[in-house]
Amino acid sequence: MNASSNGLMQQSWTWFSQALTQHDTFQGYFQPLIQMLAPQWSTDSYRAQIVDMRDEMDDMVTLVLKPKTGLIDRHWPTFQAGQFIELTVEKEGARTLRCFSISSSPAYYEKTGLIELSIRIQAQGRITPWIRQQLKIDSWVNISEAQGQFVLPKTRADDQNPEKYLFIAGGSGITPFRSMLQQLNSHENPLDIQLLYYSRNNQHVLFQQEFEQLAQEHAGLSITFIDGEESGFICTEHLQAYCSDYYLRTAFICGPSPMIQQARKVLAELKVAKEKINFEFFGAAPVEIENNTQSAVRFQASAKTVISEEGSVSTLLEQAENVGISPVSGCRIGVCHQCICKKKSGIVFNTRTQQYSDTGSEEIQLCISVAQGDVVLDL
Amino acid sequence: MTTHLASNRPDGETLKAFESDLNKIREETMAKVGDKDARYIRKVIRIQRGSDIVGRLSLVLGFFNPLFWIAGVALLALSKILDNMEIGHNVMHGQYDWMNDTHINSRKFDWDIWGDGESWKRYHNYEHHTYTNIIGKDRDYGYGLLRLSDDITWRPKNRFQFFTYLLLSSFFQFGIAYHEVAGERIFAGKPKKNSKLPISREELKKSFFGKIKKQVFKEYLFFPALAALISLPMFFAVLAGNLVAEFIRNLWTSSVIFCGHFTEDAHTFDEAECENETRGEWYYRQILGSSNFEGSRGFHILTGHLSCQIEHHLYPDVPAHHYIAMAKKVQAVCAQYNIPYNTGSFGQQYWTVVKRVAKYSFPTEEEQRIATN
Repeated sequence: MNASSNGLMQQSWTWFSQALTQHDTFQGYFQPLIQMLAPQWSTDSYRAQIVDMRDEMDDMVTLVLKPKTGLIDRHWPTFQAGQFIELTVEKEGARTLRCFSISSSPAYYEKTGLIELSIRIQAQGRITPWIRQQLKIDSWVNISEAQGQFVLPKTRADDQNPEKYLFIAGGSGITPFRSMLQQLNSHENPLDIQLLYYSRNNQHVLFQQEFEQLAQEHAGLSITFIDGEESGFICTEHLQAYCSDYYLRTAFICGPSPMIQQARKVLAELKVAKEKINFEFFGAAPVEIENNTQSAVRFQASAKTVISEEGSVSTLLEQAENVGISPVSGCRIGVCHQCICKKKSGIVFNTRTQQYSDTGSEEIQLCISVAQGDVVLDL
Repeated sequence: MTTHLASNRPDGETLKAFESDLNKIREETMAKVGDKDARYIRKVIRIQRGSDIVGRLSLVLGFFNPLFWIAGVALLALSKILDNMEIGHNVMHGQYDWMNDTHINSRKFDWDIWGDGESWKRYHNYEHHTYTNIIGKDRDYGYGLLRLSDDITWRPKNRFQFFTYLLLSSFFQFGIAYHEVAGERIFAGKPKKNSKLPISREELKKSFFGKIKKQVFKEYLFFPALAALISLPMFFAVLAGNLVAEFIRNLWTSSVIFCGHFTEDAHTFDEAECENETRGEWYYRQILGSSNFEGSRGFHILTGHLSCQIEHHLYPDVPAHHYIAMAKKVQAVCAQYNIPYNTGSFGQQYWTVVKRVAKYSFPTEEEQRIATN
């Protein structure tokens, strides 16, 4: 069958499902019934069960998840070390989504069928404190397929010279690196890795013992623990002192956004080529927000971006219309729900309920939403 | 008779206090919305899906015993009533959007009825809920077919409007589907001036026919044909069962909806008076233009809680199963401010609707005088 007849089949099947069930897929119609047998079963994500929860530190918890595979559950495809998943939990009836790096290795998943997410508990956050307090062992959550390009390039089997890497991690930005380091055992070729690991202070360093052990086992791995309180942020001096051959290495950076920006700046100043710098803003976007900041709204489907100045209070609907996108809209006062749109990420202020939204993906009403910081819309 | 708002309405200060009391009821309720509501709506959806599936099977079993056929019709009617009223109407009002569920949200949901959900959202959620009972603005007021107030000029066709009403009730799903198409004068008449239709007329036409095609395929072709595999006459047995189930749903939904705005004491309003309303004034008009009726919990669910039409018009996006509890508070607030609150038994309210349809099928004395002179 060629592509167009495949498309036609698909279209007819969708029409057939809509005609019989008013849903785009039959699964959608049966979802509430299937959920009676399989809690949290959903047409658009995978199910996973919480097998264990470990407190790593005061503000750090590791969830051990077992993706469900079975008759009604699609097989969760494996992942590459460094990738993240979307975790959806149902908090007080509302499905809420957050992105987390997988902190365990693909090899571990193959062996045990388990993956780990190490999550920083944001004191002011809406979800992470709830996850630690309310999520119970054995309960079900939804996960997406693994995503992200923050992965090591595939090594060639015939390569005699080990690949050289510089890892720069800040705080809980260590999680994707933990996955990569745990994976070292299954690499055919030895890797040469320098890890600069910044922590707030030296009393509590996430995964410290584990990493020291790994460094002993792998000659090519060298880890420098840096006390952020004592030595400060990443700078040229640090690089020169702890990783003098940085210019030979491909850099991977993960941590809080200011740290990432700083590390990129430092590397750029040292003339490290852009292609050799990989970075990942880890976990959930920051929850702390300031009013009246400059914000960039990205209308993804229309490929347009609007930058609004400080103090601007135009709604997302007005902003969309200003750049010539005309979303379906109605009452413009938040009653009719015609202008509902999928927000991919970012925080919006609802002028009707006077509340701030979540940072994750959810449905919002454009006519009563004002962007707070950067927002991405599926529009 | 159209209510002159300015002369009847409480003064500004009072309305402000009234507004804040009604806002408080909303806030108290919204604070409670959560897990229980998600479980509730999923449960209702499960009952609906269950009765849909079992009902259709039972219709086929009518081959062995006609009692199965009767049970099948009843279950299918129940499924459609739940789908249209408690699930569809409320989900499409956005009452459950906070759940962030892929299928239970106002953007995605479509209901088991001829009317296209997108079209309904455009005219109902906006036109009807904003301009409730404003003559000339709210086309839900009489659907352009019935004269339900003497502010509308009597026409000879109104003489037969009781018959028109029975016809509208019997084919109510067509009425829902045709509403926007009629308003935009897609098939007949001059296209509406200052049309705010956000899609093209072609697209509207396409979605109108598209939805009807799907429903016709399902109810009058696919399921009857499936039954015909057992024996040919079963085609007609299932077809008849589907038609009867739709008929029951049509009568029920139209009766419930008529009791919400067309009871004897439900007021109508003039467009000019409703411009630049405050929230309090809007609340006041919504209460005057709507009417409730009472019954058991199951009865309320079958009406999609439109039995609490007043609360629905005050709080269209609050999950509807809270309306019964809210109604007590709203009624108390209305009593406190001396604002009429129209409620009664279903029988009483429906009787006043029937009287109203009959009463306005005759011209006013003045109109009669002009006509005879």
